[in-house]
Amino acid sequence: MGPVMVGPSSSHTAGTARLGRVAREILDDDPVFVRFVLHPPLAATYRGHGSDFALVGGSIGLNVDDPRIPEAIRIAEQMGVEIEFAEEDMGEVHPNTVRVEIRSRSRSVQIAGSSIGGGVIDVFNINGFSAHFKGDSPTLLLFYRDRPGMISEITGIIADEGINIASLACSRKQRGKDAFMQIDVDSPMSKEALAHICATPDVAEAKYLDRIP
Amino acid sequence: MIDSFKKLGELAQGRDLADVFLESDAREHGVPAEQIIEALTKRRQVMRDCIERGKGGGTSMGKLVGNEAKLLNEAFLAGKTFLDPLTVKAELYALSVMGENSRMGVIVAAPTAGAGGVVPGMLLALEEERNVDPAKTVRALVVAGGVGSIVALSAHISGAAGGCQNEVGVATAMGAAAVAYMMDGTPQQSISAAALALKNTLGLVCDPVGGLVEVPCVKRNALFAVHGLTAAQLALAGVESVIPMDEVVEAMVRIGRALPRGLKETAEGGLATTATGCAIGDRLKDEANQRRAQRAEERERLAHERKAGVAS
Repeated sequence: MGPVMVGPSSSHTAGTARLGRVAREILDDDPVFVRFVLHPPLAATYRGHGSDFALVGGSIGLNVDDPRIPEAIRIAEQMGVEIEFAEEDMGEVHPNTVRVEIRSRSRSVQIAGSSIGGGVIDVFNINGFSAHFKGDSPTLLLFYRDRPGMISEITGIIADEGINIASLACSRKQRGKDAFMQIDVDSPMSKEALAHICATPDVAEAKYLDRIP
Repeated sequence: MIDSFKKLGELAQGRDLADVFLESDAREHGVPAEQIIEALTKRRQVMRDCIERGKGGGTSMGKLVGNEAKLLNEAFLAGKTFLDPLTVKAELYALSVMGENSRMGVIVAAPTAGAGGVVPGMLLALEEERNVDPAKTVRALVVAGGVGSIVALSAHISGAAGGCQNEVGVATAMGAAAVAYMMDGTPQQSISAAALALKNTLGLVCDPVGGLVEVPCVKRNALFAVHGLTAAQLALAGVESVIPMDEVVEAMVRIGRALPRGLKETAEGGLATTATGCAIGDRLKDEANQRRAQRAEERERLAHERKAGVAS
């Protein structure tokens, strides 16, 4: 069964709210600006389905079943968040695909993902790195400088916690340069382990995301 | 992993279908049965509450629908309906949920929001009219969810991916299997019910007027709730689908691919491009533009006030 949610469309409301929420969780700060770039089929239908409310609602941290979703744009404006919508053909992607560009005073995050039905999402790009994020399990997102031994150090810390890794994927922009690792785990990770990972040499940033509701 | 209805049929022979799904979830995903039952007990209650709210009617966001549930409820209460109470309630409850959905009320996606009236319409009407224990309804939701998840392994569950067959069609199949379960059918009868229901929704297009989940979605949910009940009835009498459920799903995926883009939720074909559909679409666009202009004005006013506040 699908999620408990605010209507009217699970692809357009629940899924899009979760996509907005993913961006907000990775930003991990109060947003001041959010831009939603919609793939044409979504751009043609998003308003009628309340995706605008839902995307904005998710990006300011509302859950998919939050009754304030229909008021999300107003709430965001009161919070001083500037909102923009744009359209762009992203090629061979699912019809309901959106790129979310979100900024706080000091940070910025960009994700691209599809809302594939029933509230299920597939985030396939995070800050320019290819990803496979569904938000259905605790996940560690790691931005680091590519070097030998990195994967074993990080997975070693996770193993010491007694946590099982469900899946792991890496991608990098260039050898020895900026790289990204996504680790889905089976059980929640402690603050200590996360701090340990953050302190690992060449780790620029580690974000731990719980299941996205 | 239960990745086909064939495998499900083999695993479930002589067993309780809900147990088969619960055990599989515990094994594959480490989610204990009690946790799933608890989550679905909550879902059933959200459905119940949503139906109660929805019976009263109210205007939808696009103002295209609103009083369907209220009208049917009034006719039913006044003894002016001619169908049997189970059928009327299935329609009524589906309309109630979809009415709430169209007002951005809280609903349960089953499996999607746009098709979210079918399953609660069928199951909660049956629970009341045939005195089914609510705990059994919750287990029937396990069956519905299980059926949906097998379909979702090979098909995207959205109108954008394959038309309404992928939404209302799948919901009807899930509901039909669940109803057969509630009426003490065998697992094979549940699978047959799903196949019969889905077969008869193949080719159903997604052509929402103005791009809203209102016309034809709200009333379609009600009509397909009844469709699902009749599919379950046939299956419970021993009627089988000649085409096995796995192949029906394959057919659905192929048909979904073959459907033109204009009939997959884009509001660029079918009912959306009838004379009335176009007129409504134009009106909605005008209203949206006005709202945007108002919001821009409001933003400017706020910015102005903030500036004035800083100055003083």
